[in-house]
Amino acid sequence: MIKKISDFLRTAFPFLAVLVLWHLSVPFWNPGGILALIPIFYYSFINPVPWFVPYAAVFCFLIDYKFDTLLFWTFIYCMFYAANGFQNFVDLTRQKNEGVMVFMAYFSVASFLLVILGWNFIGLFRAIWLVLWLGTLYIPFAALAQRIKK
Amino acid sequence: MNQKKISSRVYSIVKSAITAAVLPVFLIYIMIDKPDYKIMNGLAKIVLPVAQWVGDGVTWPIHAIGKAASGIRELSTLRSENEELKVRLSDALRNKTECDIAISENQHLTQQLDIVKEIPQKSIVANITYNNEAFSHSTFFINKGYDSGVESGMAVVSFEGSLVGIVSDVAENFAKVRSLTDSKSNIPVRIAGSEVYGFLQGNGSNTPTIGFFSDPEFQPTRGLKLITSGIRGVLPNGIPIGEMTSHEDVNVVLPSKISDVIVLKFNSKDKYK
Repeated sequence: MIKKISDFLRTAFPFLAVLVLWHLSVPFWNPGGILALIPIFYYSFINPVPWFVPYAAVFCFLIDYKFDTLLFWTFIYCMFYAANGFQNFVDLTRQKNEGVMVFMAYFSVASFLLVILGWNFIGLFRAIWLVLWLGTLYIPFAALAQRIKK
Repeated sequence: MNQKKISSRVYSIVKSAITAAVLPVFLIYIMIDKPDYKIMNGLAKIVLPVAQWVGDGVTWPIHAIGKAASGIRELSTLRSENEELKVRLSDALRNKTECDIAISENQHLTQQLDIVKEIPQKSIVANITYNNEAFSHSTFFINKGYDSGVESGMAVVSFEGSLVGIVSDVAENFAKVRSLTDSKSNIPVRIAGSEVYGFLQGNGSNTPTIGFFSDPEFQPTRGLKLITSGIRGVLPNGIPIGEMTSHEDVNVVLPSKISDVIVLKFNSKDKYK
């Protein structure tokens, strides 16, 4: 029984992590539930989970709705997913440090585009803060995800 | 084994191709459905409450702990707050007589000048449920939707009567409000007590900026009060907005500083876009 519950929780963790991080949105630390992009990225590209991609796309859409950035994060996610699937030069599942650098690049480029679209210095500073904050949180999240997998 | 690898690669390419095919659909949609984006907003109104409901169920222990902690914090500050309120009440009572005189004089002047002040047709009290402030965007959700009579374009004010934002999208049980600090917010305003008009533009910071004055010789200074101008026809004339803190920055009520708001419906001539 306990094994069944733990197996269920292990399977459900990627989905629950996205839901909880999106749901617990607060200004500054987790605006619009943006922290949900960490599990979205991790379980889509680094450690893929079956049926996670449509779920991730829905949550990107929900982040967009909260941010009032029409389809931006959804578009970026789909574009990265498509680009990653078509190429076979870089295997994201075998990246060093659970792909933290790839995640940083992904999030930085997306944030930079968002800042450029509505340019001002406050937006730029907020983007820098979020890139650093999400990059920092990615490492413990990846470690936790690894432990749960085992 | 090799065949398995090939089929997995083909499957991956098919999935990527499907995802890639979605991208031009998104681009075309963004171009054709503006400015209302009815399909996406309609979809969000179905998906968001479901995700919210499931999220509430999953995160209730976190919310319970958070509520308990904030309750304890509130209790600990209650005594000092009470003392402060007593001082403020005595100050307010002292000012009351002056205010009564000013109100009666104002009513008299309004009658003499034949000014018609617009009265809201409907007012709805709502709680702020989510404050989504990020990059240069600043929107927040309230817990009242079209079930309670909230409509797009309605003015959202604080309990003190200052404008906080405008309802930009409405669902059954919630509504999205664009705050004055959002970079997409641009409201025609008037300097209180004058006939000088300008535009209040949000920039993502806590202090939106004012510019494009109707009088080119007007010198904006700190301390001037701003009210809505009623020019665009969405908001009526005379809703307080805030106070200027420099020649262009305006101090407004931020959604992060309040928990409840009042949604007001006026007889608007134009639709909010």
